[in-house]
Amino acid sequence: MLRVSNVRKVFESARGSYVALDGVSLTVNDGEFICLLGPSGCGKSTLLNILAGFEPVSAGTVMFGDTPVTGAGRERMMFFQDAGSALLPWLSTEENVRFALRVRKIPKADWPAIIDRYLAMAGLDAHRGKFPAELSGGMRQRLQIARGLAVEPNVLLMDEPFAALDALTRRRMHVVLLDIWQRIGKTIVFVTHDIAEAISLADRIAVMSVGPRSVITELIEVDLPRPRDLTNPKVARLFGEIEELLTPDLIRSDEQLESQ
Amino acid sequence: MSTVYGQQSGPVAEVGARGASVAQARAVTPASVPGRRGWLSSPAFRTLSLTAASLLIAFCAWQFLSTFVFNPFLIPPPLEVFRVAIPMLQSGEILSDVSISMVRVLVGFTTGSLAGVVLGVLLGRIRLLHDLLDPIIELLRYLSPTAMIPIAVIWFGIGEMSKYFLIFWGTLFIVLINTTAGVWRAPVARQRAAACLGASRLQIFVLVVVPSAVPYIVIGMRVAMASSFMSIIPAEILAADSGIGYLLQQSSMLLQTDRIFVALLTICILGFTVDRIFRFLVDRVLARYMSFVSQT
Repeated sequence: MLRVSNVRKVFESARGSYVALDGVSLTVNDGEFICLLGPSGCGKSTLLNILAGFEPVSAGTVMFGDTPVTGAGRERMMFFQDAGSALLPWLSTEENVRFALRVRKIPKADWPAIIDRYLAMAGLDAHRGKFPAELSGGMRQRLQIARGLAVEPNVLLMDEPFAALDALTRRRMHVVLLDIWQRIGKTIVFVTHDIAEAISLADRIAVMSVGPRSVITELIEVDLPRPRDLTNPKVARLFGEIEELLTPDLIRSDEQLESQ
Repeated sequence: MSTVYGQQSGPVAEVGARGASVAQARAVTPASVPGRRGWLSSPAFRTLSLTAASLLIAFCAWQFLSTFVFNPFLIPPPLEVFRVAIPMLQSGEILSDVSISMVRVLVGFTTGSLAGVVLGVLLGRIRLLHDLLDPIIELLRYLSPTAMIPIAVIWFGIGEMSKYFLIFWGTLFIVLINTTAGVWRAPVARQRAAACLGASRLQIFVLVVVPSAVPYIVIGMRVAMASSFMSIIPAEILAADSGIGYLLQQSSMLLQTDRIFVALLTICILGFTVDRIFRFLVDRVLARYMSFVSQT
């Protein structure tokens, strides 16, 4: 279980301090798929970086089970939007996974089986020898996912992993990710600004307000069977509700930008 | 060329223009016979023929101008230069000067690159070290190897050591600055992902950050190699008793313009050849590290 209580995050810079998060609390259950949803600048990526341990909190606590989160930990794996820069471009598909197993100190005898399993899961079996530059954007992202899963983390932290992909590829990636999630049963915290993406993936959606002083304004339980088709009236209604929830915030965010 | 394009049928013309294999271009029906000459319009052939044409034109212009327009003593015509070059090549005179200069460049360049990479990596990683040394580097790097010749001669004499030092000096700063930049630009996501996977700080540094900087290091080394070739000549002109620069200087004293031109041509060919060899080696050994990828 991942528990965030009363987290406050202040960025100090020469131009003064900026309060990104102010009193964010959230409990992520084991095996749950939760989406952090909000417009740009709402601090959702900041919250994810805090969960990953990349950023320290200014106040409040982040606990993974009984241990406080103080740095990057092997039980939490981050997946970045730009897979190309997260991967090692000088290593082939297979070597990228091997790199993960090597730094994780997994016994060499187990490598072939693990590599086979996760590359197959990500549908990259036929592309073992290719370098990241030779893969498509979607394949690169699947490779990043395969590499991260190979070290068997408990929690997957995903920072808009499909935002840079074209719409068709993104929908295919949703199917792939849900399939993997249902098979391995890990916890996923998924950041997105795309309402449709959040609805089609999540068990729960945490809606965040625009910064400064972002908080989680709403926790929405998505109790609909997957796959969730946007033409389904229940899904469409939920989409409308969330959109309405975000609209005043978006207007406010625009006004803030104009007044600056 | 245009007629070739015109007579080819559409898709074949496309293939030929893109430089597909001769075999493909030959698989054309007899009706479009010019397609057989598809390789004539291939980019490789185009580059080669244009290069040859460029050299030929320069050769003719030079021959014409120095025979009929300028004083052939001041600018000896190319045929005359080649006539003088042949015995110099046969006697091994050029070869010995070239190898002396090359050894100087290679020793200075290798040691300078090594020092530049090691220092650059440390400066890129250790903030305090960078803040301490950067102001000094920023000042020292304006001292070109040429500016250092007088003091190098006093420090090391006119033997090999002063030449090694000058090339080392010139290479060091170029490689160092590029390496530091490369280390800085190692993507944060790449380092963080490695940390999540379980890599230690040392592993992140050695296995992620340094390899990410390789393209920058190689570019720095290529620039430094070119600058080494420019520095060795003045160094040998002013303070040496052998090497290409010395050959230049001696020929100048004796007013042997034809020998000067032989030396100048040698420098051109040498620099070009070494750069090609360097690129070839990089392609062979470091190719996988050279991709600047990759935004999705």
